[in-house]
Amino acid sequence: MSPTPAPVPFIDGLRDIDSVRLAGSGHAWLDTARRENLEAFIAAGLPDTRAEAWKYTALRALGQRRFTHGDPGAPTRNVDPKELVLPGVDGPRLVFVNGAFRADLSRLEALPAGLTLQPLSMVLSKDPEPLRFALSRHYRETSDAFARLNAALAGDGVVLRVAPGTRVGKPVQLCFVGTPAEGDLAWHLRNVIELGEGAELDLVEHHVSNIAHKHLGTVVTDIVVHDGARLQHALLQNAAEESTLIRRGSLHLGAKAHAALHVLELGGALVRHDLHAELRGDEARLDTRGVFVLRGRQHVDTQLSIRHQALNTASESTWRGVADERAHGVFRGAIVVAQGADGSDANLSNKNLLLSGLAEIDTKPELEIYADEVKAAHGATIGQLDERALFYLRSRGLPYAEARALLTAAFCRSVFASLPNESLREHFSEALLAHLP
Amino acid sequence: MTIENDSPAVLRDNAEVAAALGRRYEAGFITDIETDSLPPGLSEDIVRQLSALKGEPEWMTEWRLKAYRHWLTMPTPHWAKLNIAPIDFQAISYYASPKNRPKSLDEVDPKLLEAYDKLGVPLHERAKLAGVAVDAVFDSVSVGTTFRKELAEVGVIFCSMSEAIREYPELVQKYLGSVVPTGDNYFAALNSAVFSDGSFVFIPKGVRCPMELSTYFRINAGHTGQFERTLIIAEEGAQVSYLEGCTAPMRDENQLHAAVVELVALEKANIKYSTVQNWYPGDEEGRGGIYNFVTKRGDCRGDDSKISWTQVETGSAITWKYPSCVLRGDRSVGEFYSVALTHHRQQADTGTKMIHIGKGTKSKIVSKGISAGRSSNSYRGLVKVEKGADGARNYTQCDSLLIGKKCGAHTFPYMEVKNPSAIVEHEATTSKISDDQLFYCRARGISEEDAVSMIVDGFCKQVFRELPMEFAVEAKKLLEISLEGAVG
Repeated sequence: MSPTPAPVPFIDGLRDIDSVRLAGSGHAWLDTARRENLEAFIAAGLPDTRAEAWKYTALRALGQRRFTHGDPGAPTRNVDPKELVLPGVDGPRLVFVNGAFRADLSRLEALPAGLTLQPLSMVLSKDPEPLRFALSRHYRETSDAFARLNAALAGDGVVLRVAPGTRVGKPVQLCFVGTPAEGDLAWHLRNVIELGEGAELDLVEHHVSNIAHKHLGTVVTDIVVHDGARLQHALLQNAAEESTLIRRGSLHLGAKAHAALHVLELGGALVRHDLHAELRGDEARLDTRGVFVLRGRQHVDTQLSIRHQALNTASESTWRGVADERAHGVFRGAIVVAQGADGSDANLSNKNLLLSGLAEIDTKPELEIYADEVKAAHGATIGQLDERALFYLRSRGLPYAEARALLTAAFCRSVFASLPNESLREHFSEALLAHLP
Repeated sequence: MTIENDSPAVLRDNAEVAAALGRRYEAGFITDIETDSLPPGLSEDIVRQLSALKGEPEWMTEWRLKAYRHWLTMPTPHWAKLNIAPIDFQAISYYASPKNRPKSLDEVDPKLLEAYDKLGVPLHERAKLAGVAVDAVFDSVSVGTTFRKELAEVGVIFCSMSEAIREYPELVQKYLGSVVPTGDNYFAALNSAVFSDGSFVFIPKGVRCPMELSTYFRINAGHTGQFERTLIIAEEGAQVSYLEGCTAPMRDENQLHAAVVELVALEKANIKYSTVQNWYPGDEEGRGGIYNFVTKRGDCRGDDSKISWTQVETGSAITWKYPSCVLRGDRSVGEFYSVALTHHRQQADTGTKMIHIGKGTKSKIVSKGISAGRSSNSYRGLVKVEKGADGARNYTQCDSLLIGKKCGAHTFPYMEVKNPSAIVEHEATTSKISDDQLFYCRARGISEEDAVSMIVDGFCKQVFRELPMEFAVEAKKLLEISLEGAVG
């Protein structure tokens, strides 16, 4: 006696979607990959909380909304260029508004030698063949439901390549802007980033909204860091308060490659961030650091998975979470040391502050170890601000709210201490303070 | 304790280890005893027959049938990190009992007593010396309970579950299934439908149980499963320490053991539950061994109550076990101490759940996993702090030790917190025995094998300390025997 499933407007809205014209359509392999991914997404439906990967993030409310995919008005939407400026970030810039590339807001003139930076839409309309491998991928895990949707519907994004041995002097900025549009809008972006052997890149990813909206955005980013290359990746997510943002990142590190990631999540009503990192080459090293600071009814779900599969690899992860008011923070940090990955050194720390009786934090650090010459440790805590520290500050005349904000900021700020770009680091701190209630 | 102090004891124990080398699984013998058993298969009829065989009242039969019907609707769980060959529930005989069921301990078949003697369980004369009251469960039935008179004098009820259903139906009706409901999970539902026996303990208000209570489980017959059900109730201010041990013969088939243990602690009551699990683990290639699917849960119903689980898991081909505490009463305390060792192709997915509901509740989890050979050992735990649990506190420590390159050690802790005054901490490490430690021991003339067993012993000390003395000795020996051949 299987009950007839309740109609899900989200899914129904996808059934008549083939009218959408996406960049690159007409290439048989791309059309097939898109169609198959869409069919698979529709067939599976939105994952529910019975799926382990979505245990703490319910998508029922999202399922009740019917979205228009792609914003035809995107090229002419008004965006204040000042919104896009980040201190200490003055290099090349690629800007997407509501999921579409905007040449007028981007800064692509005089790219340094060895750097290729193009919108995906342009690459697809010329010669999509080099991207065939990346774009015809099939996602099968339930955690990747939205990656399927993205594979089916993304027509734009970033294609960034750094030639082997090139050191890109100035930070490259990727801006993803949301701005009001007619109807319930969903947009999808696909980024492909590759650092050749021994290349160096400073990357700043910026999600920003100037005016309130309720869009759904999905961003799938594949990053490959080849042997001996170095990547600094800073991510500031300051999307509109009521927007939904679902990001999936994959990061592959070659031998002696090094990647450092700093994430600050502030905006969004429902935010999901999956990062799948694989240390594929010997002596690869990955540092991930991140903070989410939530208030109101925000829901942020960070899913980190780090896989050590080569000799003498190291990963260090430091994540902090703050949930106030009625917010809900979720963190999962899984470390896998595969068989034969001897000499791996993996460390993960996740500390959380629960500041209100209506907020909730769920955390799940995981270790899966299949090799014996390893050092792996994780620690996680959930607690509140130190009463004595609060008292100390108040006894020196600081109002309660200010003392609380100060201590909370201090709790988070340590995560960014290792961000080399000083002006950007300052900006992260300010954005954090401004977001605290 | 320093290594020097330990040395003579270690050396003595090692002689025993060496002696055990040849036999490996000491408890692997089969006792040739006539049994009565139900034909293999599972249906409503079998459940009814089982209930009738045991002379159960109508309400009990209905309770079983309800569980059975619910079980039919449930899917087999797949979430654990275990590789389980499908279980044919129709191939199992759900009831096996030694023929000539004894009326009292004196009438117990001497062969049976011999079996327990071999296992070192004090059932008869020896019981008086050991001072531990024992309920022995052989296949599906309880064959004897010692010290009943002495216990009755202070008002403690300690008997088999079947007897409790007959003699104390009001207590059983009130508490059975109140901690683990019939439909709680797949294996608990199965157990509720077909459980054959188990122990029942009732400690009345204010009584401190004068001796340790113990149950010894033995699977003997082939093609059977063991489904026992244990219920322990400690009334206001009562205290009890309960031990549980288990073994099974070496057989090529996988036998199913699906037990349910329910603990109820009322106000200021204190229950300590210790397990040394040594079911047959299967051979080097993973043939045979017990499938151990156990639901254990304690309910701290009263304020200031305390439930403490200690387990040493060395046996079973597959272990699926999460002794939990529901901390309902204010200031109630839950504890979980565990050593889980897997070797060869054993798989274990074990851990605990601490559900904080009352104010000022505290819980502590110490889990030590040791994997060797080609085994897989996972800790899976949940710490949940509900909205009303002001000032709840949890500390969790999970350490894993890897011996060999083909085994796996995993940690899956879940933390869910809804109260801003709660403090929850989790720490985990995974490592192998360090070369420095080994070198240190070797330099002092200790063989590699002895050094490993010493280091493992130190690794587990925090948990062994929680075990009653006799059990701690047994656990230590078991660990050494189980690790035999793991090094080199």
